[in-house]
Amino acid sequence: MIRSYLGAVLGVVLACAAAPAQVSYGDLVKAQEQPRNWLNYHGGYSGQRHSGLTEITPENVKNLRLKWAFQERMSEKFETTPLALDGVLYITVPPGDVYALDAETGARLWRYSRNLPPKLIACCGLVNRGLGMLGDRLFMATLDAYTIALDRKTGRLLWESKMIDYSQGYSGTLAPLVVKDKVMTGTAGGEYGIRGFIDAYDVETGERSWRFYTIPGPGEFGHDTWAGDSWRRGGASIWITPSYDPELNLVYWGVGNPGPDWNGDVRLGDNLFSDSVVALDADTGERKWHFQFTPHDVHDWDATQVMVLFDSEYKGEERKLLVTFNRNGFSYLLDRESGEFLRAGEYVKQDWAIGIDEEGRPIRRPGKLPTAEGNEVYPRVAGGTNWMSPTFSPQTNLIYVTCGEGSSIYVKGPSEYRPGTRYWGSMFLNEETSRDWTGAVRAFDPLTGKKVWEHPLFRPTLAGLVSTAGGLVFAGTSDGFFKALDAASGEELWRINLGAQIIASPISFGSKGRQHVAVAAGGGIFVFALP
Amino acid sequence: MRAFLPFAAAAAVLCATAAARTHETNPFGSAEDFAVGKRLYRVNCGVCHGMEGKTGRGARLARKVHRRANTDAEMFDLIEKGVPGTDMPGLWLGEDDIWKILLFVRTFEKTAEEPCAAAPGDAAQGKDIFFNRAACAACHTVGMGGGRLGPDMSFAGASFSREQLRVALVEPHRDVAERYRVGRVETQDGKKREGVVMAENGYSLFLMDRSEETLGFQKAELKSFQISRESLMPSYAGVLSAADMDHLLAYLCSLRGSEKGAAQ
Ligand code: HEC
Ligand code: HEC
Repeated sequence: MIRSYLGAVLGVVLACAAAPAQVSYGDLVKAQEQPRNWLNYHGGYSGQRHSGLTEITPENVKNLRLKWAFQERMSEKFETTPLALDGVLYITVPPGDVYALDAETGARLWRYSRNLPPKLIACCGLVNRGLGMLGDRLFMATLDAYTIALDRKTGRLLWESKMIDYSQGYSGTLAPLVVKDKVMTGTAGGEYGIRGFIDAYDVETGERSWRFYTIPGPGEFGHDTWAGDSWRRGGASIWITPSYDPELNLVYWGVGNPGPDWNGDVRLGDNLFSDSVVALDADTGERKWHFQFTPHDVHDWDATQVMVLFDSEYKGEERKLLVTFNRNGFSYLLDRESGEFLRAGEYVKQDWAIGIDEEGRPIRRPGKLPTAEGNEVYPRVAGGTNWMSPTFSPQTNLIYVTCGEGSSIYVKGPSEYRPGTRYWGSMFLNEETSRDWTGAVRAFDPLTGKKVWEHPLFRPTLAGLVSTAGGLVFAGTSDGFFKALDAASGEELWRINLGAQIIASPISFGSKGRQHVAVAAGGGIFVFALP
Repeated sequence: MRAFLPFAAAAAVLCATAAARTHETNPFGSAEDFAVGKRLYRVNCGVCHGMEGKTGRGARLARKVHRRANTDAEMFDLIEKGVPGTDMPGLWLGEDDIWKILLFVRTFEKTAEEPCAAAPGDAAQGKDIFFNRAACAACHTVGMGGGRLGPDMSFAGASFSREQLRVALVEPHRDVAERYRVGRVETQDGKKREGVVMAENGYSLFLMDRSEETLGFQKAELKSFQISRESLMPSYAGVLSAADMDHLLAYLCSLRGSEKGAAQ
């Protein structure tokens, strides 16, 4: 006799009785239309980092105040972008933790803590920039080079897939991108003689669906742009979340620098796809097109800046566009369907190129390569901008960028490869030149590259930006100020000192019907709202 | 590379004494080694696993069959690297130290209860009871499917003896872990809610209710609240027939986790 105990046991409810809110692929596609939630690293596939929330405006932003802060003891840089869903923030805390925080109070709902091996290899700190989300799951790339899935309600580990052996210099630091049934990650480690790649894993099982090497192997297109066997350890790492066009089904990955960084002698050639954007088919990982910003880079100018997608009329034609402000000092406008180069222009002082030719290739100025004695070149090694997010506002049609002005002295030295150790080909010096560095938040017309306004900062900063439909741009500084600028004029309308450097990009989200702004600074997350 | 780190600070600098394993089986065995192992266990492991491997917030080590590692090599690797995503830390001790600790840890097995015995009972019927008839899966996960309110059952057979499982079913309130305390609140308008306590601080309380919704409350706004070491799990004493209890236990005993190490 089949007897059911369901009725007999008081209070048992099937899990499906009141299915909790789930994030679908459709939600991710329309993320910018539900500004209450912040569903991926960029707040949407477009890479625009724009919030549709309007409660906080240039008029009332002066009343903005701290709602809560979350702090963790931390010796690492806190680069996380929180995700926000239905009143909960999900953050990564370096080196390997994930927290769920109540968006109203900051109370910790759960914590996942990854046991990491002691000898992790990371050039620039044991950092992590955030999570990906789908259904009831969160996804993370870890410093020991795994992609993992956690249960969003409890933080329980659901699966972990090893990308590669971390001890050879590989690591995961980016917030994964989730598209349909795949979670995409890639490997950092461009300073350690790695061979970069991009991976896609099945969200359900963690099985790897495809891998795209950012350095082509023998017989593949672009392989001949690497001398000898330099392709085996040419870097071209992946450490920033790509943007994605659901209609074209293309993912736009910014690829890191070639290695050794400052000595290109062993890797003569253009070194594809280092310092490029590659447009990959989201289902297959197949390359549809690529565009290289800095062929044969010897200044460490990764192209890991955000590829910002927007549509506009360009020269009388409605186009699907991609704009990016590259570390090499130029901004670029591309057609994102075909990869066609449309225009480029200087946005900070640079002196390494005479200009950009009609194909989009830089015309190098002689005498600007690193030398044994050291050679001063603009922009700085950290670039005209870097990985921190720019923001595009569909209301002002402007793109806002954190800029750094100045030069570095680039030194060329020997480069010997030993697995798991730094493979740099010498280094750079900033002591003398850094005194003259300055920073700014600048607004540009993405179609012409023309500067519309500038908000000066005394020093360069590694803080990114978020724009809001209320007409604001939020920015951060290296000396701990978090500020609100008028999106139309750049005028500073509000600021607060958070007491520690901001090395992260802010977000805006809604909770209980109110607009909030959140940013990581020092070892804390700070959340602001109007009273 | 992305930032302007000073040259010297750029390489990750965490010291490690860990040495790679050079043996498949424990090369140590003398009484002296054992004494060293015991001392090292006391300092490094005892807080979580207890000196007899039976108590504390760590896994029970006094077992004939362990959940995650059984051969010497597997045990060594686990002790060296820890278990990602759990409180079991990677301690990265030197090779010799780990082998000596293992020498001591192995003695726990002698006093261990027998591993969960599947018989009597039919695991296939037990599975049906678990997922359908008694709907245990509304609160418990096996593999990747199931509820979140209670602990994961993927390793039930490797974690508990048959008797422990039986007691958990008929006396759920007997031994409730901190993580599964029950909170009950009454709001000002007289509504009552209950759930597993997710988080609590001076001002607020968060419960996960039976539909897995996370509910947040401001304590000051509540008429009353209470947190108790009870279980949200109903008692199955007298609810399951003796035969069905056997089937269910047979099924639980058969659960030893998946190879991928999914679900903990
Ligand atoms: C901070 C607490 C903590 C410390 C310290 C600790 N452990 Fe653990 N250990 C745990 C936890 C929790 C688990 C269970 C992990 C899981 O969920 O599988 C565990 C699991 C284990 C396991 C696997 C058991 C199984 O069933 O497969 C072994 C073996 C082990 N620990 C040995 C040790 C040894 C030996 C030491 C000292 C060198 C040690 N642990 C130190 C918390 C700890
Ligand atoms: C309403 C939710 C709910 C249902 C239904 C439920 N459980 Fe539980 N169960 C819990 C919770 C919560 C705990 C943790 C507290 C405790 O130890 O009782 C738990 C604990 C357990 C434990 C002890 C595990 C440990 O780590 O100590 C076992 C075994 C168990 N349940 C088995 C079952 C089985 C078998 C069924 C179906 C016959 C079942 N449960 C039904 C909620 C539930």
